[in-house]
Amino acid sequence: MRRVLGAVVAAMCALTLSACGLGSGGTVPFMVAPGSIKPNAALEGLKITVGSKEYTEQVIMGYILEYTLAAAGAEVRDLTGIVGSRSTREAQLRGQVDVAYEFTGNAWINYLGHEKPIPDSREQYEAVRDEDLERNDMVWLPPGPMDDTYALAASRKVVERTGVRTLSQYADLVKTTPAAAKTCVDTEFRARQDGYPGMAAAYGFDPARAQTPVLQVGIIYQATAYGDQCDFGEVFTTDGRIAALDLVVLTDDKQFFAHYNPSVTMKRDFFDAHPQIAEVTAPVTAALTNDAIIEMNKQVDVEGRDPAVVARDWMLAEGFVTER
Amino acid sequence: MTTAVDSTAPKTTPAERLRLLIQPALVLIVGAAVIYWAFNRDLTATQQENINVGNVSTLIWQHLLITFAVTAIVLAVGVPLGVLVTRPGAKVLRPLFIGVANIGQAAPAIGLLVLLFLWTAKTGFWIGVLPIALYSLLPVLASTILGLDQVDRSLMDAGRGLGMARGALLFRVELPLAVPYILAGLRTSLVIAVGTATLSFLVNAGGLGILIDTGYKLQDNVTLILGSVLAVCLALLVDWFGGLAEFFLNPKGLR
Repeated sequence: MRRVLGAVVAAMCALTLSACGLGSGGTVPFMVAPGSIKPNAALEGLKITVGSKEYTEQVIMGYILEYTLAAAGAEVRDLTGIVGSRSTREAQLRGQVDVAYEFTGNAWINYLGHEKPIPDSREQYEAVRDEDLERNDMVWLPPGPMDDTYALAASRKVVERTGVRTLSQYADLVKTTPAAAKTCVDTEFRARQDGYPGMAAAYGFDPARAQTPVLQVGIIYQATAYGDQCDFGEVFTTDGRIAALDLVVLTDDKQFFAHYNPSVTMKRDFFDAHPQIAEVTAPVTAALTNDAIIEMNKQVDVEGRDPAVVARDWMLAEGFVTER
Repeated sequence: MTTAVDSTAPKTTPAERLRLLIQPALVLIVGAAVIYWAFNRDLTATQQENINVGNVSTLIWQHLLITFAVTAIVLAVGVPLGVLVTRPGAKVLRPLFIGVANIGQAAPAIGLLVLLFLWTAKTGFWIGVLPIALYSLLPVLASTILGLDQVDRSLMDAGRGLGMARGALLFRVELPLAVPYILAGLRTSLVIAVGTATLSFLVNAGGLGILIDTGYKLQDNVTLILGSVLAVCLALLVDWFGGLAEFFLNPKGLR
């Protein structure tokens, strides 16, 4: 009898703990078995907390990191979906989150307080890596190719009609026939110096020349796809709607927009104790391309699939993990 | 007979008259103060994109135009509808139109804006105006119905006794007696319209919402406060016009 009571109490404690969002976090949503990611003796049974911000892309990337570490043998605790970059960063600085994907440009501008991004992606990463390590003891592993940043996009129709595929060509179009370059922006992009005004300065055209209707950021994708409401529209380069609405992203040929490349980040002491994390995560980070994340974002945001399932299916398809 | 009407109709009180004098002065002072405050400080390049004379005056103008168009639509639709559903033959329609107006006001304005965009695949002034008009229709419609319903039956009998036809009865007895109610409803509609017009920018109709949204997203309090205070000033100004209309347009016998 006493034993039964003890079990009930233990079960209730466990329930209360897992129900409490503050301390506990969850477990990895699906069990995965090693694939091209092999069990790593040094990580076997190691307790690692993986965090992410709350928006689709970050949650997907959080799960990808979790499956990666779980396949290597670590015991992963799930803290994906922390609301806001500030809170996520704070949780990581205080050691409540051990590892998380963070973006180079975001850290440079928002955490390290710089106004101007560094044009070259590699140099931007190196600058963030060095400064964040020095100031905050934060380690940045080599970044992946994915780049979630501002861009202009257009529908295939408009691209065929105008022949514009790069921002330099867009600038020429604004200079010669501004009426054909109606560009939809949101309030933020319209004012930010790393947005439309800065882009105009970098590409040498007058931002007041083309019409720039202000729309809500979500509406811009749809309105750009219609083609008659906006010839061009501001987008985020990894948004799933780019694929869903068949938009063409113009090449930033002068590399004006800040680079937001993902990198696995962790505190220095955690990295020093478990340097194997770098080799385990490296192939996964390298496989995270814009096309890959756009497709995954689309499956979640447009098709309504669960981010945990989408992330696992991608890992399976890439052969990183196998089903269990 | 007139005492019975007087006791129910909204009246212009001395306090209300005093408010009509003070309100515009207050609007001017507060509006001028916030503009002075926002323009006479060190603005970053980002802030200057919004806080410049051309942009701010364009946004105020757009906001006024939206409000004006909404007012015109609400009057042109709300009053005739109110008249229609109080006619003996058409009373069955009343729940229908009241229901539509209720839905219009109960649905989030932002949802109406996006729905209209998705439905028409268009953006621009009217896409920003029509949802706001639907959103602010209810007060005018409801007060028109109320105003016509409260007209003393004995006055209508008197009219009929004088040989008035239905049309004459409506225009010479019922509507004049309903004017105070309609104007009170219009005033409410107007203030709702000015407030919700801060969302019209979402579908490229412009307005002061641009300042508010930019300020909010970029954590730029100067732009945010400038936009919000100017919107408040416009609401007070529009309310003042409503008050003036009540003061001058209410039938003399009811003042």
